Amino acid sequence: MINNIFKKIVQFKLKWLAKIYLWRTKPKIIVIAGTTGRYWIKEAVEEALEEKNFSVRTNRKNFNAEIGLPLSILGLPSGNASFFGWLKILWQAHKICLSPRLSASSPRESAYLVLEMVIDAPENMNYLLSIVKPDAVILTTITMIYAENFENLDEIALEYKKLIKVLPWNGLAILNFDDERVKNLAESSDKRVISYGFSKEADFQVKNVRKVSDGQEFEISCPRQSAHLKINRFGQHHIYAELIKAIIKDNFKDRQKDFFGKILK
Amino acid sequence: MFSRTQKINLSPIKQIEILASKIPDVVSLAQGVPSFDTPEVVKKAAIKALNRGVVAKYSLTYGLPELRETIEQKLAEEGMYYDFEKEIIVTAGSIEAITSVLIAIIEPKKNEVVLFSPSYTSYQEAIKVAGGKPIFVNLIENDGWRIDFKFLERKINSKTAAILFCNPNNPTGTVFSKEDLLKIADLAEKKKFFILSDEVYKDFIYADEREYGIASLSARNDNNQESLRGAERRSNLNQSAFFSLAQLPELRKIVIRVFSLSKAYAMTGWRIGFLHSDEENVKEILKVHDSLVTCAPVISQYAAIAALDFGDKEIEKFRQQYQERRDLICRHLDDLKDFFSYQKPNSSYFVFPKLLPKRDSWRFALDLLEKAHVAVVPGVAFGPSGESHIRMSFGRSEKDINEAFNRIKKYFNIRTSDVQNL
Repeated sequence: MINNIFKKIVQFKLKWLAKIYLWRTKPKIIVIAGTTGRYWIKEAVEEALEEKNFSVRTNRKNFNAEIGLPLSILGLPSGNASFFGWLKILWQAHKICLSPRLSASSPRESAYLVLEMVIDAPENMNYLLSIVKPDAVILTTITMIYAENFENLDEIALEYKKLIKVLPWNGLAILNFDDERVKNLAESSDKRVISYGFSKEADFQVKNVRKVSDGQEFEISCPRQSAHLKINRFGQHHIYAELIKAIIKDNFKDRQKDFFGKILK
Repeated sequence: MFSRTQKINLSPIKQIEILASKIPDVVSLAQGVPSFDTPEVVKKAAIKALNRGVVAKYSLTYGLPELRETIEQKLAEEGMYYDFEKEIIVTAGSIEAITSVLIAIIEPKKNEVVLFSPSYTSYQEAIKVAGGKPIFVNLIENDGWRIDFKFLERKINSKTAAILFCNPNNPTGTVFSKEDLLKIADLAEKKKFFILSDEVYKDFIYADEREYGIASLSARNDNNQESLRGAERRSNLNQSAFFSLAQLPELRKIVIRVFSLSKAYAMTGWRIGFLHSDEENVKEILKVHDSLVTCAPVISQYAAIAALDFGDKEIEKFRQQYQERRDLICRHLDDLKDFFSYQKPNSSYFVFPKLLPKRDSWRFALDLLEKAHVAVVPGVAFGPSGESHIRMSFGRSEKDINEAFNRIKKYFNIRTSDVQNL
């Protein structure tokens, strides 16, 4: 009982502190959702954005739900099972959010937050969206994982639809066209959609996959070009991660690193 | 009737534990059970899963996808790349994994499995359960329990299905060098057998030995072609402290790696572990795993996600404690140098002292149990070269270790004359 009350207080405080943090630092937010493959896609997005000279921060571990998401935004660890541990975290969160030096231009703040989001019950998404408003959304798959509190998979799809709905007018939805339910979300979207997958309808399509002794070889074809790739990882989810990397590279502009320094030279 | 099981023995560790359980106030240094409780964060995750109502049904035979994804991430951190969908099976501890692999790979014409002596006692029985024949290759005690490659090569023939070893080794606490592991890989490639590597103690390598695998590399002779291939492999390696053959992609078709959360996360009772290898091997092993257990306990699978995600700090705490206990047990053994000689273990939580003078380890263990009420495992249980040794676990608390040694010291002081006659 006391534990539950304390948990609610921690959750409430973290939510508001995360909101204050986002309001003050104004990072671009890319949300990765879906029931599988988020981790490797998150890594791929981070890598692609860093190649474009952006500073990026991502979720720590699997901090991706009601308490974990605000912790990820604030860049804090978990208080684990310790009462005092959580008090310390709340104190650190206050210090970060109330710091006079915190602003969007502060060099220690990231230009991009890449956040995994996980829902395991109806209304979870509403709660997470009350903290975060994404600028771009990447949807992977909708499967039976975490489905026990939902009537069916279509109900989960409706939750993910909310993610696309809250995108700003210039927002971007990156959707896996190999998953029928995710693909269907494109039809009802009024935002810009880029599709990926093995499907022939996908904008960024993968073909000719070949498993070799030390990884996988495949081709990615997209509207403007195609490329042959080899990776040292095994499994379809790593191919999806490479597709996402290609999408980010193709659709996000480079940040001019040290712009004024270059002019002065 | 029972023609196969009659050849199989109950593990001597369990036999000793059964005998010990009948003696009041016995102190056991026999079973390899950590004295710690499962970390709080792991227990909470299990309770949460229980309350969510998700643990009453079977999981997929491979295991929960979210756990396998976590395992894949963890393996990648250690330089091992395996597909969570097709190349990882969550098992009911490591012994189920090993038994499943052995049943899958042993065939009538390829039924011999090479074991190091000494090595974990249950391996020989698992091989017999799978219809195979254990073939022992002695480790060289005077050379830090290193592998005797001349002897090993003599024991390998067309009937060899696999070599099975524990690295770090139970009961000697030896970390096999990268150089030696690569030699095993060369042999396995040439002679076409599997390498089954059980790495349950890889998290308990003690500070002074953490770079053991890398440090010993310079000894390798790079003159022949096989060695060159080994050199290439080494250059591609992630410079992690602990070396596993499963880090080498070119060996993924012959290496099957097993890990258990039992020791690292103090979860022996949860019966949870995993194996990974190339898809071609895993799809065959899966059939056996399915027949044996359908799936690993689902509540333990949820607990394992939390352990892998949040348990690293706890592992480090355990490791430091075990290192202190190792030093404590070694100090006690130093006090008894007329009765034991030993090599300080680099890892795990076992020490494997030699009995002085040489004597029957079963008789000694039973006598110690009966007269001093201290349970240890007779060395012969770990293979023929384990005779005249005993295994002591420092997984137990300092209090237990001190009490056990007080009794052992008393036993020797009082009964020195009896001991000479054993």
